[in-house]
Amino acid sequence: MQELLSQEKSIYLQIKEMIENDIIRDILLEEERVPSTNELAKLYAINPATAAKGVNLLVDEGILYKKRGIGMFVASGAKQVIVRKRKERFFDDYIRSLLTEAASLGITKEELIDMIAAGKGEDAK
Amino acid sequence: MSVMTLKCENLVKQYKDKRALDNVSLTLEKGKIYGLIGRNGAGKTTLLSVLTAQNPATHGTVTLNGQPVWENEASLSHLCFSREINANMNAGGIGALKIKEYLKMAETYMPHWDKEMAEHLLDIFHLDRKKRISKLSKGMTSMITIIVALASKADFTLLDEPVAGLDVVAREQFYRILLEEYTETGRTFVISTHIIEEAADLFEEVIILHEGKMVLKENTQELLESCVHVSGREEDVDAATAGLTKYREETIGRSKSVTVKLEPGQRVEAADSVSVQPMNLQKIFVAMCGGEV
Repeated sequence: MQELLSQEKSIYLQIKEMIENDIIRDILLEEERVPSTNELAKLYAINPATAAKGVNLLVDEGILYKKRGIGMFVASGAKQVIVRKRKERFFDDYIRSLLTEAASLGITKEELIDMIAAGKGEDAK
Repeated sequence: MSVMTLKCENLVKQYKDKRALDNVSLTLEKGKIYGLIGRNGAGKTTLLSVLTAQNPATHGTVTLNGQPVWENEASLSHLCFSREINANMNAGGIGALKIKEYLKMAETYMPHWDKEMAEHLLDIFHLDRKKRISKLSKGMTSMITIIVALASKADFTLLDEPVAGLDVVAREQFYRILLEEYTETGRTFVISTHIIEEAADLFEEVIILHEGKMVLKENTQELLESCVHVSGREEDVDAATAGLTKYREETIGRSKSVTVKLEPGQRVEAADSVSVQPMNLQKIFVAMCGGEV
């Protein structure tokens, strides 16, 4: 939650992703209270309405839930939901741009596979 | 009860041969932070002073919850315009006042004045209460502007360039103090600034003034999402942006760039050879108000 905001993306999406990152990294645990929108607003020097927009997206996805008068909590099973969602998006988020750049440089499919294998410390063939 | 609103309709302010405000109509709601941006001479200070009845309008009306603001003590008790202290004020003897005397004077105009808060902010900003106004640096006068605004506790508080001359640490301090006060009280703040980028995320809505006219008043996040920078080969950029609202077209050789403001439902149908990039508020502002390249 202490990452720096960039200008590449909407602030509320970044707030949402930072909370997700903290859940994936076990910085925020399931059934634990997350900072309020006012706390987030002060932390990042952003408008509370913007912070609320990011938090509400997580509520809609069932990753956070509200306890009336107490605050916002991480739902049980939230970590699994985030991992599943990010796996589904992995192709669009990472592979597609990789393929576009590879094609424009004339890198073949075999070369690509070799690079991936090498990156994971495996022998290609 | 409905939301408290400060509203102006068809405001015109004519100085001798300059039209400082040209038919400005807008509604400010209680409980929001608004950013007011515009170039030097765009009419920002004039708008803020007319909204708070410190300056009469040539035409048009300003109302708080439907009641005129001009010479109306009940309405004025909800408004505060904390303007820059500048050289002109020294003529009126203000420069000779010590900080504590100046704040004492401000207190007499502000029915909801919070003395404790003023004292607390003097400490935060390390201001010497005995220092004379005429001896203050630019940054210190901004701190006084901020203290008067926050301690006024007015429902609608308008700040004219509160961060001008402040160093970066003091600016960030101000943004946090402002958010703290805002989240605790739900007061409305209107803040004019030239340091657009670092304050952009504070603003729920942004108001752009250009040459006395209001160019837009929009939710900041929605504005950011609706504007994109499109660049690439000229024909491809033209094809991708045909029929869309465009600002600041720039061509170098075969390459072209343009800022596009999308209406709901519109999108840029771009080939792979065209780059479509998000923009920050500062870039959007320059595209809309920067004139010819």
